[in-house]
Amino acid sequence: MGITTLFSLPKSVSVFFHKKFERWLAKRIPNSKEHQLNSRNIMIYPTRFGLSYLGFVVLVFLLGTNYQNNIILLFSYLLASLFISVMLHSFYNFSQLRFYSMAKQQGYAGEALYFPIKIFAEKTHYDINAHFTDSNLNSHVEKIPLCLQGGEEIKLSYKSAKRGKHTLGRVTVFSEYSLGLFKSKTVLGFGHYAIIYPKPKSLVVGQYQFSAQPDEPSIESYQTTHSVGTDDFSELRSFVRGESRARTAWKQLAKGQGHYSKHYQASQGQLQWLKLKDMPSNDVETQLSYLSFLISELTATNQAFGLSLSADISNKSMNIPPNVGVEHQQACLTALALYS
Amino acid sequence: MIFFNNKTKKSSSGTLGKVNVSFCLSRKNAWLLWLCQCLNIAVIALELSTWMLAIISLSLAWQALLLHNSRDRVKTRKKVSTVKHLSQRQHNHHKKQQASIVSPIILGIFALLGCIAIAITAKEVGILASMVHLLCFSYVLKAFELKARRDFYQLLLLGLFVLASSLIFRQDLVFSFITLILLVINLSVLLHFFSSEKTFASNIKVMTVILGQSAILAVVLFLVFPRLSPFWQMPRAKSAETGLSDTVKPGDIANLSRSTKLAFRADFGQQAIPNYSQLYWRAMVLEDFDGRQWTRIKAAPKNSAKASASNTFSVNLNGSDIVPLNYQITVEPSFQKYLFALAPAIASNEGNDIRAKSDYTLMSSKIITQAKSYQLSSFLSLPLALELSEHSRTVNLHYPEGSNPRLEQMALQLQHNYPEPQARAQAVLSRINQQNYSYTLQPPLLINNSLDQFFFDTQAGFCVHYASAFTFIMRASGIPARLVTGYLGGEFNGTNTGDKLSDKGHLSIYQYDAHAWSEIWVQGKGWVRVDPTGAVDPERVNSGWSNELLQQQSNLNNELFSLYQLKNIALLNILRLQFDILDYQWTKWVIGFNSKQQYNLLKHWFGKMASWKFALIIAIALVISMVMLMLFLHLLNRSKSKKKPLAKWQLVYQKSLGQLAKQGIVKPAAMTVNNFSKQVREQYPELAIVFTRLSVSYNRLCYQTLAKDEQLKLTLTMQQQYQDFCQTLKKQP
Repeated sequence: MGITTLFSLPKSVSVFFHKKFERWLAKRIPNSKEHQLNSRNIMIYPTRFGLSYLGFVVLVFLLGTNYQNNIILLFSYLLASLFISVMLHSFYNFSQLRFYSMAKQQGYAGEALYFPIKIFAEKTHYDINAHFTDSNLNSHVEKIPLCLQGGEEIKLSYKSAKRGKHTLGRVTVFSEYSLGLFKSKTVLGFGHYAIIYPKPKSLVVGQYQFSAQPDEPSIESYQTTHSVGTDDFSELRSFVRGESRARTAWKQLAKGQGHYSKHYQASQGQLQWLKLKDMPSNDVETQLSYLSFLISELTATNQAFGLSLSADISNKSMNIPPNVGVEHQQACLTALALYS
Repeated sequence: MIFFNNKTKKSSSGTLGKVNVSFCLSRKNAWLLWLCQCLNIAVIALELSTWMLAIISLSLAWQALLLHNSRDRVKTRKKVSTVKHLSQRQHNHHKKQQASIVSPIILGIFALLGCIAIAITAKEVGILASMVHLLCFSYVLKAFELKARRDFYQLLLLGLFVLASSLIFRQDLVFSFITLILLVINLSVLLHFFSSEKTFASNIKVMTVILGQSAILAVVLFLVFPRLSPFWQMPRAKSAETGLSDTVKPGDIANLSRSTKLAFRADFGQQAIPNYSQLYWRAMVLEDFDGRQWTRIKAAPKNSAKASASNTFSVNLNGSDIVPLNYQITVEPSFQKYLFALAPAIASNEGNDIRAKSDYTLMSSKIITQAKSYQLSSFLSLPLALELSEHSRTVNLHYPEGSNPRLEQMALQLQHNYPEPQARAQAVLSRINQQNYSYTLQPPLLINNSLDQFFFDTQAGFCVHYASAFTFIMRASGIPARLVTGYLGGEFNGTNTGDKLSDKGHLSIYQYDAHAWSEIWVQGKGWVRVDPTGAVDPERVNSGWSNELLQQQSNLNNELFSLYQLKNIALLNILRLQFDILDYQWTKWVIGFNSKQQYNLLKHWFGKMASWKFALIIAIALVISMVMLMLFLHLLNRSKSKKKPLAKWQLVYQKSLGQLAKQGIVKPAAMTVNNFSKQVREQYPELAIVFTRLSVSYNRLCYQTLAKDEQLKLTLTMQQQYQDFCQTLKKQP
């Protein structure tokens, strides 16, 4: 509420007030997975239309007074008290809603992430809108015109081209029901943050050979024996006429990178380590992008691999021992995202 | 003017805003808005000139055409989109799009032309009417450029202003009620914008409820908010004058008598209402006769008039012990100045805006544009003007000689036969009574309004015919006489319609009660009222219109429900009378509620008080009504949430919590379900497994989107888990 009025103030002052406001907000509406709207966390104030409506009511009052016309006066009184009852209706439409949202979402850079917010309503609510409070995020306003008794879900999208962990701040939920005279608003903190993985960049034709970790005592080597019967992906080669179309690497074809076919080879039971320093580029970001690609490819073909981001083997967060599966993939990608 | 400027300014800024580009109303909403516009214009249509109405209806038709076409466009788009397999989102977007955009240049030219036309006709129709024209014109044009949400808002506010300004011209109960209904519709259109998923009917219902709640505060404001005097002069409504005019020709009042509109009401309070034949409501005295028509003398010597009038009354009052008849009169807007009284009367309140004239009529200092009440005291038995000034005598004896030679001749004859004035008058009356004269609403046309022709040839006429012929004869025979117009009688409407008209109720006097009679001046008695109508149609004078007259009237009016029919169908008549009572209360308490009444009311409630007390009372009243409103809403909200039953799984979980509470484990309200199950695990490891299962199911049911059958299944599982839980609990020592 206070932020909007501070445009004219000098920057330092506005920053000061902004910080004060943030602190006040953090105390008033602390971060939580779940919020219930009540008089503590709802802010309600007239919109621009509400203010011009008030001006209009004064105009009608003047008309009535100047003509000494009681009916017009009554009309203006009715409109004026409507203003107040609409405020109460606006409040009751907004209160008693419950919101629930998970804090974390992850995804690749450049892809839209969706933060689902579940809304629980004990009665019917109208015109519920939500967006991220931070205006730098350029968040699209998601709207639920009618929130029936029970549950609804709203999905806020977030998109970033930069890898890493992004805290998204608070979520603004507002409603202009019933007549657009008032805006009931709340800024809920779910502690939302996004883990953005590096954007995968494909590696073509044996640009990179898997290497075993020489110094690592291969205790977990037994795991590779688990990959029963399936052929492991080895490389992409240029498509040769007559090859099965089932092997076409559609992803690359669709991206316009050329027609390749996937080639597989049987698992050799050899532990594979993905190493940052082995990636064929000088730029760390590009290297991470290659790794991101390889991790998803290896997981898709169910091969075991480990990830090593630093030379120091004892650094647990930078070196992830070989494993398979989606969870392993996520752990590796998160490590890539957080690499600095 | 302001609105127009606003409009052009806003439209230019509207195109700049980037968010506004995507604004579009749903089809249903657009049509509702259109309908709403039509209704609003219809309310004020009576005040608009024909050419403006034509322009407005043209614009509205154009608007409707655009709306209709946009539907066709949507249809073709739909086809295209299905062929191209566009995404769902885009599809929806197209469906919504209105694209009813008219070139701004055409619109601008149109607006300019309209403004010029309004400016040209402004002198002719008056300032207020041209303002209203401008308002309506901009209201209709605004609809062509709904580019942003704020345009939509502006259009709605303009609509509300049109409604408010229509109340300048009419304030009666029916009209106010119609305005209220339209207010509900207007606001419902706005509400529909925010809850378009609901049907419009349910939105109207919601809006009615909200307005009903607001009415509490509105009434309090109406009662306690100080009434201010006008801040500046406003142009007055220039409506056609209704009722009597200050020039009367034979046949005029017969025309007026076809109207069933209300003229005024009289409230006698607890006093007995005088007999019907006493109820001569005096409006104007017409003294100037030019042979064809009677005219009121306007340039009356002011000072002497006032002085003599006040003198007469003060003298009379001091020397008499007559009980005055006190009553209140509420006149309907007539757009004229004259008021009504039972002569002789004095106005007991607001001496400054009612003037008593020497001829015992009352005048308002301002033109009556809305209902107005005043208090009167009448002394029916007192004579009028025992002394006649020389000027007055000459005026009231004057007649254009040779205008009606046969009447003049008869007058001379009468003067000779009956030297005594009252006997002479009686002779004329008995002639009218005995000869074949008839009283009719449709008198035959007279050449040049000749009284001779009426009196000797056609012998059929309405009150003015008889009164003016009688007055003419009196003047010609040397008795000062004059014509008085006003109303006769009135319809009693009250709780007790028995023989004694003494209980609560009021008299309603309609335009068809308009009447004309004469007065002759007799030495020692003053002005004596003589009504020649009584000689030809005694029923008219003693109890009101005869059935014959009513039938004539209904034939003339060709109305669906004429007064004659209404009066003959008992049920309808009761309804009519009930409505009249309602309308009277409305006029008395709402339209006529002024600062004095307000002060009296508050004094009645709270006793005499200082101004600070007054302010305090206003403040307290406002606060209390606000609190009441909030409480009301809160209760409304509460009961709704209570009504909603808990889901089955919630009940099961609550039950298990109850069981645990018996064991001494109470779940704090703030604790989450998971944390609580952890706590149980720590304190009662025996219960851990069953209760954790239960909690997990509960959490899933609460926080996961599940299909209906899945939900059902899980609920059943949960019930099973609950039974397990109970059994484990029983095994506990």
